[in-house]
Amino acid sequence: MGKEGVNLLKLMATYDKRWGYLLLFILVLLPMIKPIGMPISVSELTKEYYEQLQTLEEGDIVLDSWSTEYSGYMELKPGMIATHKYFIKNGIKIFICLGHPEGLALVGALLEDELKGYMEAYDYTYGEDYIILGFALPNQAATLAMATDFQGSVKVDWKGDSIKGTFLDRVETGADIDMIADFTTAAGNPGLINHIVLTFGTPMIQNQIGVSLPGSYMNLDAGLITGLLASTRGGSELELLIKEPGPGLIAMDAFTLGHYLLIILIVIGNIGFFGWTKKVSEEMESTTIR
Amino acid sequence: MIGFVPYFIKVPQVNEFANTLTNISSVVGQFTIVIAIYSQYRRSLRFIRERRKGWVYNIYLLTFMSLMILIGFTWGEHNATYMWLVNSIVAPCSSVVYGILAFYMFSAGARAFRARSLKASLLIVAGVIVLLYQAPLTGSYIPGLSPYATFLTETVGMSLNRMFAIAIITGAIMLNVRMLTGRELAFLGFAREEES
Repeated sequence: MGKEGVNLLKLMATYDKRWGYLLLFILVLLPMIKPIGMPISVSELTKEYYEQLQTLEEGDIVLDSWSTEYSGYMELKPGMIATHKYFIKNGIKIFICLGHPEGLALVGALLEDELKGYMEAYDYTYGEDYIILGFALPNQAATLAMATDFQGSVKVDWKGDSIKGTFLDRVETGADIDMIADFTTAAGNPGLINHIVLTFGTPMIQNQIGVSLPGSYMNLDAGLITGLLASTRGGSELELLIKEPGPGLIAMDAFTLGHYLLIILIVIGNIGFFGWTKKVSEEMESTTIR
Repeated sequence: MIGFVPYFIKVPQVNEFANTLTNISSVVGQFTIVIAIYSQYRRSLRFIRERRKGWVYNIYLLTFMSLMILIGFTWGEHNATYMWLVNSIVAPCSSVVYGILAFYMFSAGARAFRARSLKASLLIVAGVIVLLYQAPLTGSYIPGLSPYATFLTETVGMSLNRMFAIAIITGAIMLNVRMLTGRELAFLGFAREEES
């Protein structure tokens, strides 16, 4: 028994990390194939974000900033889909500005693959309800130019067609933008805060990836952003609030199981550490000839 | 320092001047892409010439970098070939790298949390509370965890993050000054780097 116990403790301390990878892979994959439908709670953070969305009225203009590469999009996808569904359903006018060269791939991935049917259902049309300006916010200089002289700095959309005669005629400066919706990884475009939020007092909401949330919490705490949607979890909660289930809610089962597996492995690792690693190193120290 | 002032004192002239400086730095910053491309070619070609570890990957890197630049400049970003490269090469590679990171972070989390000392034990307790709260099912069944997790994230985590941000920004300013004064050249590929 004693020997078996020691072996088990050794296994807990020295197991091959690839077993952890395999378990995680299985636990993430299975609920994706066959969702369990575990209940989820809605955080205060997401409720505040939703309340900010509700302040918008039909016809309001939103600067829709996509400062994310394709990899980050995979994490922001539920939040992006849910937020855009809200815009479409409520007749909010958006102009999409990319802040990352990889954003080009997102136009097809989000608007064509995910939202096309939804836009058709609500008769949400290009030029009348939304416009894609392309890689229009690469840096602070471009953001400043757009904020101070919109008509002078932006004349065509991403395909080179004139934006004259569209809802963007109403935008002269940042003061004419009713809200900024920023979908970003890491710091995103600081120009949005520096040149639009601080100068014109335009409210800004943000959907941020998990590892960069602490940075966004600082901006939320300081009142620089008024709503924060946290990663895939926040996206799934928003899906629940707007009653539009999507990829976020499907991912939540895997999210829960992945977190629990990590906690279990931390506990196992610590049992192994005290039962084997620490014991062995103490024994080695006591037998060392000084 | 002029860039800091408008955040604390509202003087339109200073604000305008700070904006102009930001504008100048952004425009100058865009030109650094030329130096970045030059440095990458120079570094990768040296790796290939000297047959250093991983030199084959540098051929792959240079090939696709050249291809993207060539097609982008010649036919523009809406060209079908360019879009195919973005959608079929860049996007999947980007997703794969991100996906793999999750496994590394998971493994690192599971192995790093060891109660080797009192401080490490406190870290584990805090980590487990936040992890439990972040798991949607627990958040639903044990709402009492929320104030503790929120305190750890928004008070402890945020203060540490602020400290981290200040340290990084200070370091970046110092590094930039050293680079501008010619004391730090290895980053730009102008000085010979140590064998990796």
